[in-house]
Amino acid sequence: MTLRLYLARRVLMLAPLLLGLSLLTFTISRLVPGDPVGLAAGPQASVEIKEALRVQFGLDQPLPVQYLNYIRGVLQGDWGRSLYTRRDVIEALGVFFPATLELTLAAVILATALGVPAGVISAMYRNRIPDHIARVISLFFVSFPAFWLAMIMQTVLGRHAGLVPIGRRFPVIMTPPPQVTGLYLVDSLLALDFAAFSIALNHILVPALVLSFGALASITRITRASMIEILERDFVRSARAIGIPERVVIGKYVLRNAFIATLTVISLNFGWLMAGAILIETIFDWPGIGLYAVHASLSLDFQPIMGITIVYGVLFSLVNILTDVAYGVLDPRIRYG
Amino acid sequence: MKTTTVTRVSVLLVALLLMAAAPLAAQGENILLYGGNQDIDNIDPATGENYSINAALRSLYDALFINRGSDVLPHLVKDWDVDDAATVWTFNLHDNAVFHDGSTVNAEAVAYSFNRILDINGPPNFRWGNIADENTVEVVDDYTVRFTLTEPFAPFIGTLTQLFVVNPAIVEENRVNSAGVDDYGQEWMQSNAAGSGPFMQGRWEIGNIYEFIAVQDYWAGWTGEDNLDGFFWIIQREGSTQLNSLLAGETHIADTILASDKEQVVEAEGFFLDESSGLFINTIKMNNQGEYTSNVHVRKAIAHAMNYPALPEVQDVKVTLMPGPTPSNFPGFVPDLDIAVYDLDKAREHLAMSPWPDGGFELDYVYVTDFTREEIPGLLLLEALRELNITMNMVPTLWPDMVASCGDPATGPDLINIYTLPPFSDPHAHLYNQYHSSQWTSGAGSFQSCSFYQNERVDELLDQARSLGDQEQRLELYAEAQTLIAEDQTSIWMYTEDSLTAFNDCVKGFVFSPFYPITVLFQDLWMDNCG
Repeated sequence: MTLRLYLARRVLMLAPLLLGLSLLTFTISRLVPGDPVGLAAGPQASVEIKEALRVQFGLDQPLPVQYLNYIRGVLQGDWGRSLYTRRDVIEALGVFFPATLELTLAAVILATALGVPAGVISAMYRNRIPDHIARVISLFFVSFPAFWLAMIMQTVLGRHAGLVPIGRRFPVIMTPPPQVTGLYLVDSLLALDFAAFSIALNHILVPALVLSFGALASITRITRASMIEILERDFVRSARAIGIPERVVIGKYVLRNAFIATLTVISLNFGWLMAGAILIETIFDWPGIGLYAVHASLSLDFQPIMGITIVYGVLFSLVNILTDVAYGVLDPRIRYG
Repeated sequence: MKTTTVTRVSVLLVALLLMAAAPLAAQGENILLYGGNQDIDNIDPATGENYSINAALRSLYDALFINRGSDVLPHLVKDWDVDDAATVWTFNLHDNAVFHDGSTVNAEAVAYSFNRILDINGPPNFRWGNIADENTVEVVDDYTVRFTLTEPFAPFIGTLTQLFVVNPAIVEENRVNSAGVDDYGQEWMQSNAAGSGPFMQGRWEIGNIYEFIAVQDYWAGWTGEDNLDGFFWIIQREGSTQLNSLLAGETHIADTILASDKEQVVEAEGFFLDESSGLFINTIKMNNQGEYTSNVHVRKAIAHAMNYPALPEVQDVKVTLMPGPTPSNFPGFVPDLDIAVYDLDKAREHLAMSPWPDGGFELDYVYVTDFTREEIPGLLLLEALRELNITMNMVPTLWPDMVASCGDPATGPDLINIYTLPPFSDPHAHLYNQYHSSQWTSGAGSFQSCSFYQNERVDELLDQARSLGDQEQRLELYAEAQTLIAEDQTSIWMYTEDSLTAFNDCVKGFVFSPFYPITVLFQDLWMDNCG
């Protein structure tokens, strides 16, 4: 099967997957007891006000009709509105989602950029001091809760040392770069505004670093384990025997083979980091989708809950597809199908 | 080659990071940065109702009256007149008040704003819904407006601090009628202002930051030596972040500081903490129609089992214990009421007088999931009730579910921990919605009436008191009502939370108002050498 055909098949399979996901989320959110309409209408609202709100949001309809109306709306680009803020869900997602995506991408890049070399060094110096140091550090990062590290780094680096901001994506009194992607680092580069880029970088550095810690540890450990396994293969011994420089042996032959396992971990971590960003977003005032999701869930705000689930579903599926494609690029023996 | 590239990229990144350090310190001269714990997700005066929304409304709109400190002062109103029955209220307005678009704030606008609130019948209408109808407000002339209430209502002026006047022309421009439903401009007004207040909207990023820009030639003038050029409301949901931002100089005010953090503010040079007694009231409501808690002796036993002296020690905010149904700093407070104190022997005595002298029953204690401040009193009570052989189940519940359960006594929990804040300075604002049986017998009880209390005499007193013009007479009636409410031990009156708002010293003009216990009146503030 060609790559193009494979991609088309995977994208087509997304439709039933998302439909199932939306049905499941819809059912669960409607089965949870509670009166979100009563809460949205306010404590003093009369029965008539609550009823009017129920009608306005179509919540007076039977559940199957509500679901079909929702799906019809989604297909027409209408993802509904929040019961509380009356804000358009698609508009809110457009604001909050890029912030979380940027933070997660930065964390994944940092975790990979630091974790893979650490794993390689650890494997190359197996059971020697660099290996021990790398393992202790990764154990440290896995053991300490991210929110605690976040608070410590915020207090030490932000409040006391003044090296980084306490939080947020950009200084409040400054205007962020013009929105193209919603990712400030990308948008500032597109606008050739290097000052804005440096400010955005300064703001994202610590939150992304803290968010990356858990992933960094697992990437380091899996890279080390895979590298050790590959280093013991015959072809590595042969490559060294015929005089290929060690740098080339490690970089071109060993790491490339070992990276398939690392790639799986990176891909899984992407999902975990997206979901886990909520704590980091809260501590660093990062205006991402996490807080939006928590608020929607706690107040049973149906439409945002559905919208967030669909966006996460699409994103996870796309990451999985991209990972599968990358497998084939790394190892041409892998066939799509 | 590769190493050189990596080095170059690293050097570039470090240089960019160093460049970024400079703007951190640079802040606007008179732009105040406020770290607020709560979002401002609705600025429609007809539908928005909570502390952060109220802070925004006070800044963007003008009301007929204004709360300054503990006083209620005329604002858009120049002078007024009321009949003896406290039913017909006539207000003369200032003739120089203007909306942000330059048009005049006149009687027509006041009438329009009032009728809009009545028509929409959203949360803010609880103040007027049962004392006004479509004929209530009348435009006498350009600057005179008359309210003829459907029944006498003495504390009317207190409610008018929340009658924010909207610009009718702008609302009408944005009124949408789709599928036969007239939205009365709600969709647009949710995130757009049409007011005459001291500030206008700037950047408005829902769920993130809100910018308010000062109207330099504000019609009412500025009260302080100077005024702000504007302020940003920055949503900061984490207490430690609020504190760090304040102490790092990235914000100037932080609301809802944790009690455990207050020493850091007190010890830091250049900051001060306001710890005034507020009116954010915590009560454990007992279901007066419940299987066990309908018995007054059971209620008294439970009330005596609460370890009140421990509360200030264990809560993470500074609290002042309640001396009865009304806080001591609120109008209508009755000193020397016979209220329950922590005494397990008395608790046993009362239980012995109930049909369950040896206990042996179970009660549910409902509180907001993950809200430690509501959970802790429950744990104290659980411990004490065990001594009385009463089993208490801790039931963490989502807020929507709590609200829903308070609709009817049959679904109302045995015990529920609730916070309330009187909306204006009058005993009516605090007592009526909690203790008048009409608030729940209609089948639409709210969390405030979740004790499902019913006492005909108390109903009578509360009805009578709200319709009298004579303040002294009113207070007597409220005192009698509270004596009965205390005797019936409808609830466990816990504490009021004190304000814990932290300021940079450079912020001037702050005066605590118990009606805005968390926020400030931004129009009275200015900054002195904030750098």
